[in-house]
Formats: sequence, structure tokens, C-alpha cells
Amino acid sequence: MTGPSRVSGGETLTFSFDGKRFMAREGDTLAAALLANGVGLVGRSFKYHRPRGIMTAGIEEPNALVTVGEGGRAEPNTRATDVFIYDGLVAHSQNRWPNLTIDVGSVLGLVSRFLPAGFYYKTFFGSSKRWMFYEHFIRKAAGLGKAPTQADPDRFSQRAAFCDTLVVGGGPAGLSAALEAAEAGKAVILVEQDRILGASLIRDPQEHDAAWIAATGARIRNLGGRILLRTTASGYWDHNFLTLSERCVEPGQQPPHGVAQRLWHVRAGQVILATGSIERPLAFAHNDRPGVMLAQATRTYVRRFGVVPGQCVVIATNNDDAYRTAEALSEAGAEIIALLDSRHRPPEGSAIHHFPVFHDAVPVAARGSRHRLRSVTAQVGSETRRFGADLLVVSGGFTPVIHLHMQAGGTLEWNEAAQAFVAGTSDQNVVTIGGAASPDPIDHATPAGDPRKSFIDFQNDVTLADVDLAWAEGYRSVEHLKRYTTLGMATDQGKLSNMAALGRLAERQGVSIPVAGLTTFRPPYTPLTMGALAGAGAKDAGAHVRRLALYDFHQAHAPLWQPLGYWFRPRAYPRAGETLAQAALREARTVRNAVGLTDVSTLAKFEVSGPDAVAFLEIVCATSVGKLAIGRGRYTFMLREDGFVFDDGTVWRLSDNRYLLTSSTGGADRMATHISYVRNYLCPQMRVSAINVQEHYVGIAVAGPHAKAVLAALMAQEPPRHMSTIPATLSGVPVMVLAASYSGERAFEIYVDATRAAPVWVALEDAVLAQGGSPYGMEAMEYLRIEKGHLVVGAEIDGRSTPHDLALHKMLNTSGCSIGASGLHRPSLSLPNRRQLVGLEAITGDIPEGAMLVTRIGAEPEGHVSAAGMRVLDGGSIALGQLQSGFARFGEELIATSPMRGKQTRVRVVAPHFYDVSGRRYND
Amino acid sequence: MTKVTITLPAAGSLHALEIWSNTMAVTERFMAEMGFGLPRLGTSGGTDALRLIRVEPCVWLVEGDPTALTTILGGDGTITAIGGGIVRIRLSGSGWRSLLMEGGMFDAESSAFAPGCIAATLIDHVAVRLHVISADACDVYVPASFSAGLLHFWRQALETLTE
Repeated sequence: MTGPSRVSGGETLTFSFDGKRFMAREGDTLAAALLANGVGLVGRSFKYHRPRGIMTAGIEEPNALVTVGEGGRAEPNTRATDVFIYDGLVAHSQNRWPNLTIDVGSVLGLVSRFLPAGFYYKTFFGSSKRWMFYEHFIRKAAGLGKAPTQADPDRFSQRAAFCDTLVVGGGPAGLSAALEAAEAGKAVILVEQDRILGASLIRDPQEHDAAWIAATGARIRNLGGRILLRTTASGYWDHNFLTLSERCVEPGQQPPHGVAQRLWHVRAGQVILATGSIERPLAFAHNDRPGVMLAQATRTYVRRFGVVPGQCVVIATNNDDAYRTAEALSEAGAEIIALLDSRHRPPEGSAIHHFPVFHDAVPVAARGSRHRLRSVTAQVGSETRRFGADLLVVSGGFTPVIHLHMQAGGTLEWNEAAQAFVAGTSDQNVVTIGGAASPDPIDHATPAGDPRKSFIDFQNDVTLADVDLAWAEGYRSVEHLKRYTTLGMATDQGKLSNMAALGRLAERQGVSIPVAGLTTFRPPYTPLTMGALAGAGAKDAGAHVRRLALYDFHQAHAPLWQPLGYWFRPRAYPRAGETLAQAALREARTVRNAVGLTDVSTLAKFEVSGPDAVAFLEIVCATSVGKLAIGRGRYTFMLREDGFVFDDGTVWRLSDNRYLLTSSTGGADRMATHISYVRNYLCPQMRVSAINVQEHYVGIAVAGPHAKAVLAALMAQEPPRHMSTIPATLSGVPVMVLAASYSGERAFEIYVDATRAAPVWVALEDAVLAQGGSPYGMEAMEYLRIEKGHLVVGAEIDGRSTPHDLALHKMLNTSGCSIGASGLHRPSLSLPNRRQLVGLEAITGDIPEGAMLVTRIGAEPEGHVSAAGMRVLDGGSIALGQLQSGFARFGEELIATSPMRGKQTRVRVVAPHFYDVSGRRYND
Repeated sequence: MTKVTITLPAAGSLHALEIWSNTMAVTERFMAEMGFGLPRLGTSGGTDALRLIRVEPCVWLVEGDPTALTTILGGDGTITAIGGGIVRIRLSGSGWRSLLMEGGMFDAESSAFAPGCIAATLIDHVAVRLHVISADACDVYVPASFSAGLLHFWRQALETLTE
């Protein structure tokens, strides 16, 4: 018998691979179960479709990538070494057609000499149209697994945790550190990506045994520690903040409680990294064949899973550790055909003489047939020898797992004996212990064999020859090398390949490896499921919407909802068969001809009171407030300290020392921060209170020539005149009625305690309908305000305009005490060629919003269209824009051009008021 | 499975109390009139009828009838109604701390966060104020516009929450 095997017994779980059913034991990884069932061929390589087997026993596996699960739960590119068998697991191989054994794509391997590093860059160039042609075929050929097309039915949770000590790695070093911290009274979290603690102690029994592992875990838990298994520290961020990715179930498995994975956000006082190290392969010809395995992985399969990956074994090593694999295999009944040690002498203190050990010996090539290993060719001294074998075990030394230390901003140090980078210092409170801190020494042997077939990055099919080619073509930086050859990319992230590539690059440069450099370890080092971060499966994580208090009343009209920041507001209330534009125009015309009602609850609102309220408001607002009579209001705007307008609104004097300040919806949070800053930092001495009441009040606007009639029918008193306010009662509910307009029509805003707003809306809506009116949405509001020339934050108020640019300068408070007043004196803000607010009338066609304003096609832009609409009653495209020296250019003809949309329109520059310029419609 | 009950206690009157001058004098008047002191930062105080939570250096959230407070404040501060914009959600049961950690950014599992403590934090990106009312219950003051979304989030989280 040849190849991998296991003495049967204890198999209770069934699983399938490429449609074939197998049995497995509880605790098997998919890789272990496949090997136990004699399956050595598991995947095809990315580029050349070369047959690949299982090389490792952990998350570093570059070859055995499979799709696990079905439908929406299918998880592509899962390492067979990192998924534990559950009953009914379904796995499929990837990147092959029609099947794994006979893959048509493998013909690429026959022409691999024509597909070297940089092949795409050298071949597929030219015009963008040609690339569009190439892309079709490249995309078909690219990729490994296929992303599922169905929605993931499971949930992804995000959870916070805080601890004094976070230990990453549940091996003997991590367990000991966690126990010590817990016994010192610290809150401890211990994370381990395996499903058991102390797995390395099964592979390499030391003074600690399974009982010690169980007792230590129990002791940590009893002391209040939290142990998270199947959890990977996926990123190390600032201030000892780490993200942990926990698999609540295995890939493709239906979670019993709905959550498939949990992303932990952990803030730790101290982080202890006991992440161990990853064994490196050796470079020689055809080192990627099924049947070539790493030494520690082989020991793991033998001692943890009871699987013997081969019967006739050649071992190639440059260090002592592989000798332990020889022992393990021998104990399991395998025959050690040869132990090739690149070192010239046996290891010190070695008592191993019962294996045929060859010194100064390195593998040159692996040969096989039918996807199984048949022999190994080796260079032994000056002699070439060939050994029959079905398993080649290799060990090229150890690479400490240091990515988390590096992500923490830590420095790296070069360990010459181990030929590896180890953790240095860090500004964060992090320490690296165990195998990651002290890797075993190795012998640095120059690779033998054909470099064109000596793979260093198995996942991306990068060979030693590719590195040589990149060097020959002038790629000197390791970062350039990486991108040119694709080395260290994809799910693998260079776990096995980085050091081999660096070694080769350094050799070509004639420098040491640390001089050659190292690429950056960006999170995640181990693949994460997108859903765990923020995908659709994360459901509401980070995607809350702010719901209007009157949501149900709007929803009764089936509106089109429009996102506005976190809010969703009715965009229009289309009737049967109406498009958005038709509905919006109908609603806007209803406001012009009769009356409309709309929800303006989202406006920012602040109640400012106290003896110093006026002084406070005159600091916040750029307009004068002091002369405002009780019951009166006025338009206002606010400046940043540099003099630019950043928001606008209204200010109302409700009583002697009490004011209401409103500002835009989009700027509400910013204004709240600004008000708090002014109150607490600039004016802490003032006798004033400035409270955010944005959500306390629902705001309902009633606008149109019949608006006053609507109010009059519902109130026991005369509605206030324009820019006046009165307290009133509507439907038995106390309200504030503010006569303010954003539409160009006589209008009122009714503010009411949100918990009592429902009857007020109902009464107003009934009255509006009785007057031939209707509700109107954001789109109609936009038509109305553009026609009237009202500004909006984000369009005309874009953070680049001064009061003068927006023709607001005549309203400025001349006392100069407001924020931004001094900034306005900067000479550059008075230059004549500044962009100024203008109106635009289309001479032909429609004005595209966002278009550039130019004097002729090809000329430099002199302005832009900030908002485009139409004359509500008369038709015709109009817009607001900002134009260099705009105030002096009324009557000039320009072109509004939008090359991206292929649109251009001739426009005439006019004053930015298209409707009721005199304001007569505000009067009763 | 973690046990938590989510309820919306009957909406009480909510106001913001801000003191702008003579803080010590107001504090003394408050103590004399109400029989308990103005709570310090990070804590709550009061009775079932009138409870105060200090939310800013000079601002308290007042739950209950604030009529008596106007007299106490005199000309040194004011009261502003804010109840329309805040929804109070009560999380009851031994697992309320675990539930708050779901999507949370605050160490609700800390033993220092004891009854009477308050904190401002983010839950799943929503700014909320927490008030521990007993070992087994916490009130969460949520902006009204976010309350439906957060309730939905918590109810979903509860289906799968483990301590």
C-alpha cells in the first residue's frame, strides 16, 4: 500500500468531497479526513492548474483550497486544514474543469515557459477598448473559488470586550501566560484559532500533557477568564485595540442559534502574542506535488489525527526538528527511506542513528505519476541519488508569526541563526513569547534543482525563476517584486513564501535579507468572511436609519423614501402611474396653486435661553439678533472661523430670554458640535443654556396660497404674519407656529412635541386636502426652493463661499463679534474673480446638475451648476450656480457642460431669483 | 441563551436642567428643597418621582415633574423640555450587560458600572445614554429616531446572545 492512510475505527461522521462520500472521526480537519481516506489530490494551482495536495496542517495551507458548504452558506477558498468535519459537510475542489483528476486547464502548465511573471503586463496592453476585450477572458480564467450567488442566510455578530490581558495563541506558552495573568487577578481573554487548546502538545508531547491543558483551561475560566476557540486575531490597531474573528460554526455549517461568526472588538491593557511559528518548505523542482508535506504538519497528522501520510518516506531538512518527524513516522509504521540533512554534520547531541541520514544532502526534484509521489532525486555531496518514496517531508526552518506585532507598530529584528525576523520593540503594550520569540536555528542551504519548477509561492505559482526574472527586469524593491510576480498575495499572504523570496532577492542583490527589506503585514493575515465585517449578512450593523416620528403617516401614502444622512425622508408621494418627476412636479404645482404639507422634523433645532442668550446667538450667528422683537424671527447663517458660510437657518425670539435657532438637516450634527463648542469652550462664563431639541419637536410645514386658510380653520387665533411666531393650540395640542417659507409661498412651520404630533399632522393633512392640497416631498421642495433662489447646505453652501459670494453680505452683523467676522477681512476673500451665486436659464434643453460652466467647449471652467430644476408653473430649465465674477455677468451666455454624461446646454446668466422677486406672495 | 427582557416603560416627562451661575448656591438650595443632592458626573440621584442624571458639567437630565426645580433655579439656570426626542428602553435580566456589549463600545461588563452609574456611549453606531437602575436592569436613553432600529437590533441579537 502507498500514499496516505489510517487504520479505520471510530469514524462516525460522513462528508463528501467532489460528490464522493467519506467517513471521518470527530475532531478531524477536512485535510486529515481526506488523507485518512487516501485522498492526496485536493486542488489545482491558480495559474498553471498544477495538481496540488495537502502540504500543511494549519492556516498557512497554500494548496488545499476548497469550497465548503452549499447555497448561500458556500465558502470558497477555505483551507481544508482549517475546517473541522461535521456530519454532512459538503466540499468541492476548485479551479478545475471538468474534474480534479482531469483538468483541461492543466495544459497551461505545458506552456508555462511562455507565462512568466509579468505575463499580463507584457501582453495585454493597448487602448482601453482592447483591455475590455482581454478582460472578458482574463476574468474567466482568473480566481480560485466562486463567490456564492445566494444570500448568506446566517447572521454575523459584532461584540465588544475589554480585558487587562489578551493572549493570542493557546499553545503551552500562551496557556501559561494566560494562567499567570488570571492568577494575578487580571481580566484575561485567551484566543486560539484551533478548536482545542494546546494542540502542539499532542504533536510534540513535553512535560505538559492533556490533563495539564484541561486543568489550565478550567483554572483560567474559573478565575473569570474568557477562552475563545476557533478565533483568530485578525487585526491589531491603535491603543491595543484588536479585532478577533470567531467562528461559531464551521464553514458551511448551519448555526444552531443563527450566528455563524462573531467579530470581537477588544480593548486590552496588555497583549501577549504566543502565535508560534510557521514551518517553511524547501525549494527544489516539483516541490509542489501531492505527497510533499511539511515536517511538523506530518507529525500533526500522525499524532493528532492518527493519519500516516505516506509509507515510504524521504525527509529533507536543514534543522533538527524534522528528526522528530522521522521518529513519529517510524513509530506509526512508516519506513524512513532517507533523511537528507543539508548540514555537514549530525546535530549536536543527536542520538538518532537508526535512520539512513545523509549529510550535505538536499532534494533536487520530486517525481511522480497519477498525482502521487514516486521518487525523490537528491544531491548528496557531489553525488546525485534517487530514492523511491510516496511521501517527501520537508523542513526549511521556521518563520515566527509576527504580523500582529508589526501591525501594532512594532519593529522587527533579524535572527541570523534562524534566518528569520523576530519581534522587536513596540510603542504599544505588547510582548511576544514562546516559539514566535525564539525560532530554532537552521542551516542556510542554497536551493538545488531547476528554478523554473522550484515553487516558492504555491498559491500564486511563483517560482525561483520568476524572482530571478523580476530582478533581471529591474525590480529591485521587495514591494515591486511582490506586485510584479503576485508573490505573497491572495488568501496566503506569503505565509510560506515570503522568506524564500526575500532570500532569493537578497542573494541577487548581494545583500543580507534584512537589507533586502520586508513587505508590510496588513490585516487580515488570515482570510475573513466579508459578512463578519459589514456585509449584508451583518444585517443592521452600522446601517441604522433614523425614522421620522410621523413615519407611519407618511408610509400610508406609500412615498418614495430618500436617504438624507441617516434619515429617510419622503422624496415624493407618487400616485398610480406617476414617475418621480411627474409626482414631484404635481406636488410643487399644488404648493404654488393651493397648499401643500411636508415634514421638516429633521431640521436642527436649539433652544437658547438665559440672560446672555442674545450675546450667545450673536457669536454663533453672523446676522444681528439683538433687535429681534418677541414673536419675530429672521433668516440667519453661520460662519466658520475662516469666514466661510457653513450653515443657515432661522432664529426666533419666543419670549424675553428664550430663542429658537433652526439650521439645516444635513448639518445638524455638525451644528450641535459647534453650539456645544461655543457654549463650553468659547463662552463658559455666559449665563445661557443651549439645548439640542432637534428630535423633541416634530416640524410640519404648510405652504401655499391657501396655507393661511388651513391654519385659520384649525386655530382659534389669527395665524402670524410672515417671519412671526405665536404659541397656539392645534387639535388640543400646544404648538409653536412659525411663519417661515422655504418655497416662495406664504408658509408656516408648526413645531410640536414629537410624542403628541400625530393628531396635529392628521388635522393639518385633513385641512390641506380640504383646500385642494396634498403632502409634498423633498423633490418638490427642491423645485420650489431653486425657483425662489433659496440656498441649501451641500449645494450652494459648500464650505467655499463667503457671505459676499452668496449675496448675503448685507445681512452681516456689523458689530464684528460673531465667529468668522474677522476671517472675512482676509484679502483673498474680496478678490473680484471669486465664484459668486448666480441664476441660470436654459436657452435650449435642460441644464445638467453639476455641470461645468464654460465660455466655449475646451475652455477652462469658470463655475459650476450647484442645483438644477425647472420653473414650476411655466416650465423651462433653470438652475443655481457659482460663477467667477458672477454678479457682473448677468445676461452673458455660457455653456453648461457635463462631459461625463455627454450633455451640454447653452445657458444665460441671470439673478438667482426666478419667482416672486419682490416677495409679495408672503403678504396676506 | 442569555435572558434579557426589553420593555419601554411609560414615557415620563424629560427635561434638561442647565445651571449657568452660582452653582454652589443652587446645589444648596436643591439639597434643602428636595432632600437629596444634585448627582455628580457619571451618576444619577433622586426618587422614583423625580430622578436626575448628570449628562454634562452643568446639565442634568430630569425625569419627572420639574415644576419645583424652576423655583430652585431662580435666575441661575433653566429647564428645557426634551422628552419628545428621547425614548427610554429598559433592559432587564441577568444578561443586560452582555446585550450592551453586542455592537457596543463600552465596558458594560465592568463591575464598576454599578447601580446608579450612568454613561454615554455608542451602541451599533447609535449614541445612547445608559443608566444602571439595579443589578438586573439598565435603562437606555435612545434618540427617538433611532429607537425602532435599535430595538430591532437588540431583539435580533437576543435570539443568539450567549454570555
